[in-house]
Order: sequence, then C-alpha cells, then structure tokens
Amino acid sequence: MRDSDISRGKFNFDAPIVNGRPAPYRHIGKYRVRADARDIVTGRCTFLDDYSVPRMIYAQVLRSPYPHALITRIDVEKARSFPGVHAVITYKDMPKGWSMGWPVHKDLMAQEVYYVGDPVAVIAADTVDIARDAMQLIEVEYKQLPAVYDAIESLKPDAPVLYPGKFKSGTNEVDPGVPHFQPEGPWWHVEGGDVEQGFKESAYVADSMVEFNKMCSPNAPEAPSCIVRWEGGNDYTIWASSQSPFIYKLYNGPRIPKSQLRVKTFNVGGSYGNKQTMSVTTLCCAIAAIKTGRPVKLVLNKHEQFAAYEQRLGSKIRAKIGMTEDGIFNAVQGCWYVDTGCLGDAVQGQVGVGLGEAQLVMAKCKNWDLDSKVVVTNKAAAGIVRGYGGQELNSCLARNMAHCMMQADKDPVECFKKNYVAPGDKYYWRDGLIWQSRGSSHYPETMQMAADKFGWKDCWKGWLKPTRIEGRKAYGVGCGVIGNADVAEDNTQCIVRIQHDVKGRYATLIVQTDVTESGMGQRAAAAKFAAEVMNVPIERVYVTDPDSLANVVNFGLCGSRGTITVGKAVSKAAADARRKVLEMGAAYFHCSPEQLETKDFQVFLRDRPEKSIPIKKLGNKDLNVVGYGEHIEQFDVPSCCIFFVEVEVDLDTGAVRIPRFMQGTDIGQIIDNRMVRMQLQGGVGSASMDTATMEECIYDVNGTGRMLNCSQLEYKCRTFNDMPKHDCVIEESHPDTFMFKAIGIGEISGAAGASAVLMAISNAIGVEVNEYPATPDVILKAIKSKEAK
Amino acid sequence: MEKQSIQMTVNGQKYEFLIGEKFGMIPPSETLVQTLRKRLELTGTKESCDEGACGCCTVIIDGKAVASCMVLTVECDGSDILTIEGLENPETHELDPIQQKFISCYSFQCGYCTPGIIMSAKALFMKNPHPTGEQIREALAGNYCRCISHYTVLEALDKLAGVESDQYPIVKEAEEEDA
Repeated sequence: MRDSDISRGKFNFDAPIVNGRPAPYRHIGKYRVRADARDIVTGRCTFLDDYSVPRMIYAQVLRSPYPHALITRIDVEKARSFPGVHAVITYKDMPKGWSMGWPVHKDLMAQEVYYVGDPVAVIAADTVDIARDAMQLIEVEYKQLPAVYDAIESLKPDAPVLYPGKFKSGTNEVDPGVPHFQPEGPWWHVEGGDVEQGFKESAYVADSMVEFNKMCSPNAPEAPSCIVRWEGGNDYTIWASSQSPFIYKLYNGPRIPKSQLRVKTFNVGGSYGNKQTMSVTTLCCAIAAIKTGRPVKLVLNKHEQFAAYEQRLGSKIRAKIGMTEDGIFNAVQGCWYVDTGCLGDAVQGQVGVGLGEAQLVMAKCKNWDLDSKVVVTNKAAAGIVRGYGGQELNSCLARNMAHCMMQADKDPVECFKKNYVAPGDKYYWRDGLIWQSRGSSHYPETMQMAADKFGWKDCWKGWLKPTRIEGRKAYGVGCGVIGNADVAEDNTQCIVRIQHDVKGRYATLIVQTDVTESGMGQRAAAAKFAAEVMNVPIERVYVTDPDSLANVVNFGLCGSRGTITVGKAVSKAAADARRKVLEMGAAYFHCSPEQLETKDFQVFLRDRPEKSIPIKKLGNKDLNVVGYGEHIEQFDVPSCCIFFVEVEVDLDTGAVRIPRFMQGTDIGQIIDNRMVRMQLQGGVGSASMDTATMEECIYDVNGTGRMLNCSQLEYKCRTFNDMPKHDCVIEESHPDTFMFKAIGIGEISGAAGASAVLMAISNAIGVEVNEYPATPDVILKAIKSKEAK
Repeated sequence: MEKQSIQMTVNGQKYEFLIGEKFGMIPPSETLVQTLRKRLELTGTKESCDEGACGCCTVIIDGKAVASCMVLTVECDGSDILTIEGLENPETHELDPIQQKFISCYSFQCGYCTPGIIMSAKALFMKNPHPTGEQIREALAGNYCRCISHYTVLEALDKLAGVESDQYPIVKEAEEEDA
C-alpha cells in the first residue's frame, strides 16, 4: 500500500510537474528532520536566556501594585547607591518620545500608572539578585485613581478616561484603523446591503450578547526576554525572544527615538503570535542600556508574563443574526467591543482580520452592519495571540449562529457547508478593500468527509440532545468552522545562493530569508522548498540566521502567512538560481536549457544522464550562483478548518472531559506530513480549544484589580495524562497559490474549537451554555436553570 | 555544623562548590537549575516557571526526575545528577534511544520544553523499560508543553515501550520516508 493511501486524502491529485521533474516530490509532503532537531533533543539549542554578551548586566522592573494610580512620591536614592547597581530609572529620567500604541497614547513610564504591572522603575545591576534586592529599597507613594476593567463599562459616561486628549473620541474608545494594515484609510465596520430587509427575509433570528472575555494567556514556556546593546549614536543591536525580527524592528524602531535597530533572534520557546513586538520589555531594556552604556538583559519571570504581559483580547459582542428558511445567513447587525487592556497597540489590525473572518463563515450574507469599538481598560495590555482577532469574534458569533440553527432545527455541518466562502464570493478584508475568493472549491466536501470520519451522523441527535447518557455521564458533540484570508499577507523576499564546496563536486544551497523558528518548522519548510526546486539533499541546505539587518525582508511565520509567502519567495528564488544554472549548462553542453536537469549540484542532459558536470565548474570561478524571489501581499485565498469535538459531562459535578476531537481541512498540499498534524493538534493549546473549559485570567475586579491566577500552578492547562484522542482529515486539492500549491493551517487549527466545545456541552446537558470557560460551576448553574424550568 | 562546601557529580563529572554569600560562592538560596545553567553552562535545562509546575527544568537526581528549580543546590551534596547534556554517549556521540526516537517521530515543536520531557521519560524508562501507556502519561503529567507536541511525544515513548495506542494518527517516521 502506498503512503498516500494510508495518510493522504482523496484530493491528493498526482503532483504536478515542477521544473520539468514530475511527481512524486523528493521532499515535499514528507517528514524531513529539522536542521535543529539534534540540538533540541540534546539541550544544545540556544534560546535567548541561554545567551550572553560580554559586559552584560541585568535589568529588573519595579511594577505598579495598583490598577490606576498617580505616583505622588518616588525616592530611588537608596537603590541607586546599593553596591552592584548601575542605574535606577523612573519616569522622571525618561526622555521624550518613548511611547507606544496607535495612535500613540502611552509612555513607557509616566507619573500615572494604568495597570497592575505597569513599570514604575527599571533597575540595572550586575546580577538579577542585586537588582531585586535594590528594588526593595525604592520608596513609592501612590494616590489611587478609579479603575475600569470592562470594555462596555469603560465606554459609559462616568468611566474614568485613561488617556485624555489622546483619542478622537474623547473617551476610552481608541481611534479605529491602523495605517500599516490599512494604507487606504481606517476600516472597522462591515457594511453592505440592507440589513432591515435582510432580517425581514430571515425566518430565524438570534439576538444576544455573547462574551469571550477572559483574556486567556498564550503562556509560552519561554518568557518574553531580550538583550539590548546600545552601540553609540543611533545604533542598537538587540537579541530578542521574538518570533519575528522584522515586526519587532517595525514596531520598536519608532519607539526609541532616532534609533536604528538590528534585531537578531534564536530559536523561540513558543510564541503563538504573542512574542513579536514585546515593546514594554524592550524599551525597559533599551533605556537601561543607554543609561549604563552596558548591554542589558531582561527576562520576565512567569508572574510578570501572566500579569504584566500581553494576553488575548477581551471580546464582547451584541449581535443580531438572521437566517433564511433554507439555512443561509442573511443579515448580521451588531457591535463588537474589544478590550485591549491599557494599550491599544495596532489591535485595529486584529479587529480587521476578525471582521474579515466573520464574513468567510457567513459568505452568502449580503446584508451587514457589524461595527467594532476598541476600548482601553485598566488591565495588562492585550494583543496578538494565535487566531489574531478571528478566534475572539468567532467564539462569540458562532454562538449566535448556533442559536439560529437551533431554532431552525438544522444540522450545523449542513449550514457551515452552505455558508462558507467559495470561489467567487466577495468579502472585505483587513485592508478595507473588497476581495474575491479564488481559494479552494473543495471546502464543503472536506467538511463532509471530516464529519463522516468523526461519525457525526450517528453522534448528532439534534440541538440540545445528548449523543448518549451513561449513568451520570452525558455525552454530546459539537462543531465549528473558521478560516482566514491572511494566508498570503505581507510582502516577502528571498535570495538563494549556491556556494560551492572547496573540495569535491558539491555545494551548499544557502536560503537567505528572515525566518525565526518558534515551533512551526518554517525554517525547515524553507529549506525543503529550495531543496525540492534545486533537487538536492535537504542536509545540503542552510537557512540563514534570523537577523533584520543581514537578511532581505520576511515577516517570518506569524499568523497564517508562512506557507504561501515564504513558499513563494523561496521557490521563486531557487527557480531563478536554477534557471541561471541551466543557462550556464546550456552554454557548456551546446544545447537548450530545456534539455537539461539538475540533481545534487550536477547538471546533466536529461536524455543522456551520464553527460554531467558539477555546477561548480560552470560560470566564473568561485562565484556563487544567486537567485532572487519575492511574494506580494494578497488576500484572495481563504483557508478553512472545521473542528469536531465530543465532550463528556459529569452531571453531578459539572466536570467536563474531552474524549476526542478532530479537524478537517483542505491544506492544498502537505509540505510536511508530521508537522501539519502537529499544527492541527496545536489547536488544543495556546489559548485555543481549552478556553472553552479551563483557561481564564481571573481579575480581582471588585478589589485590587490584580490577576489572581498569575502563576503556572494556578492557570489551568491541559496535561499529558488528559489528552483527547486526535484525528484529522487533510485534503490536498492543489489550488493555485504558489509552486507547491499549499495553503497554511496552523493559526486557525483551534480557533473554532472553543465554540465547538460549548455547542457540545450544550447538547450533552440539554441547555444552552454561552459562557467561556464552561467550568463546573457554570455547567451546574446551567443544569439547575434547566431543572427549574 | 554549617557546611562550607558541597560535592556533586553532574553527568559523570565531579564538582566541589564553596558555599557562602561572597561573590562567586553558591549562596544557600541558589537553586540547582541556577547552578547548572549559570555556573556549569548546562543551559539545556530550562528555567521557566520557577515554581515546580512546568517541568522544563527537570533533571534526574539519584535516579529520580526532579524539578531543579525546586531544589536548593546545597541540598544536593553527594548527589549524582544527570542533565539532558549527559544522555548522549560522550565518546561515540550516539544519542540515547529516547532522543533518537524524538527525532524520528518529530516529538517537539519549539523544543523549549523538550529537554525536561526527555528527562522525565528517561527517569521512567530507567526504572521500568516497559512502562504501560498510563504510566508514560502519568510520568509526563508534570511537563508543560504549550505547542501541543504531546501526541508525537507519546507516540515516540509508546513505541519505545511497545505500547499500542489509538490516541493519535500514525504516519511515517523520518527513516521510513524514503524506504
């Protein structure tokens, strides 16, 4: 039996002929060991905290204990004179312009503090222990100010205005739009058709407020951390645990006035979109580096990471959704309230993507009036986490959609199939422009195949009906769908070079592009694309170290973009280098380039393979053969993932167990057979599926304003002995994305998981549950409310 | 009597440290993970949560998997400590079978938690070369992985232990791809 029969899908059409070489691919689709694999399993792999630079000292941050306060007195003299301390920096010492947010509204340090964890002083010392001891010597007096913790409360007239004069609204509502994502002008509102008429045509309407508001933590194992070395003048070298040197530089450059940043990264110990700009951490480190003239390292501890670093956006939506008799979503009206904590840092881009994704799942709907408001509150900044606005909005809207489908007594799988975006459907994307899908036409079929494999037909007994009850255990199933048209976002470049070995016939293929490895295997994928085009062993490919100065432009694998953007730039660069090789070979063999092939850095005549010559012997002595490729941003290929889940609810205790889950997707073309499965499995973690049952950041909103569960012990996460059974359906329909016909999946793999789990719980216990996370108390409350009826 | 120095063996090498508050000495408050990382440069052991809850700093002390952020170095006098760096054969550079299987099955994503997971698994396999599936899952219950590499980790360890499981889809290992 062929491998494809075992593990590949129905749409695994014969691979196309690429550069004259027919399928099967040499590398694409197969599991190829990552270049860093041995280092990872032996502990040799370098992460930021494993690295030091000469003369380096350490920073620690004194943080506000109050959610909103004015510093009335601060005395750092004792700390400054503590042996081993090099600098203590407060708001009084800060130069102008070290400010964050869009529009700019928050200084790194100010007399006013806005959340529990806001930096009050930065201490730089010979060791972390000395810095912590000195921190105890700083005397601060505060005058507490009224605080607000909720987006809707924050918009009320009596709410304290956090940043007077900074927003056009004059309130806590942040200006909509952000230029980097929306160069044509701000966009924050899906409008079109005639909503009133749309509701008139609808047979079923759901109108309610749903919250996905517990601002869960992505909680990467490796903390946000950096080393900043000021080189004098405007130049800085920064090593950061960021998943993207390019984005890090893009955001932090303007925040350190007149700076030129060179950003380098190592392997990153998990990020999930969350460790990109790390502005507060970076600026604390940078000001200490300037004041001391020494390289400064700052590694957040776990409590700081939970309580003072970026979490998932808070999300509340009041929405009315109408559905026609035949199950087509026909009108959407509402407002999405986005809680961005104390800092709105380009969160408008996430809102744009969230609104875009809402249209993908209701793509036949012509009548829209879906507004959004980004609001600041007195909590730690919220920002980017896997799902990028899409999961936040989908987790709410999906519950409204479910309510419509329930009224109509329609099978959700059938509804999702009918409503999901198909080629030719149009939608607004985050740039505010209208795009038309030219993506896969196989999504409905894929959804059905996944449903069949899951056994949906047998498990689905109707809305609010359990699959079965065994004793006091009730079982239910649920599903959700989501997709993203960001898979081809952001311009990307790559240079491929063939560097000849000093001895012998071989060479190294150097892929120069700026990709950080933060777990998704993108550097290995880049190597694979180049190796496939050039037809060389993957061990002979070297991908350059991530570095914003030494590399051409690449945003790295953040969001859904990696596969297509990196794939296109790398494969085009490799093809360009190969074209040059073939032209040199043609001159040598006196034939046309079309008659030639390459393999393992040799050029040979396709019909007479014994006639071959090493690339090294073609062209000018010693010189590398160089190819260039690029990708230009577009938003016309939506991805898709359907998520199925079964839950078991203990009717006495309200405890939920998840026995199994499954996803279905048309991935276009599998790049790595194992990695793609891990990307799907990853939908459990990183504040995705488990935000439905266990994950939440609990704030003491009636007292101190502090996060109460800001430790690894208190923040609940799934453990090794509690993993559900996983299965998946991965189809490969080869849409026209780039040479290797892939789409990309990781970001959305768990984004519909949370809403699917709530659907399953509702079915198991026979009453709608719309509260995230559905902890045992929530479930028991729901069961009681049902019994009371 | 107060101890002035302690001795311990790390990955087969013997070390003696002075205890005290003076610069360069090991203060009584220093945790083992700090000593391993900062004094011996054994950075494969990761310091993540610093409260014994994530397992990233797992090492094997006298045959037992221990969170090295929860142990003071002064408590380790006379101990035999094995870290991730000590699994590879120092002469042949052959990997431990667990390390090799983790590569074959792609049992990591970001790889930050991987050394801790491997050390927890190693302690289990040292005690019991043929653990049950349940024993494997319990042994790793203190190791946090946020990328969700759990399934390929379990696949690798199940295969080493001879356990069959339907918890995850089976696909080819690295060595089987071109076979």
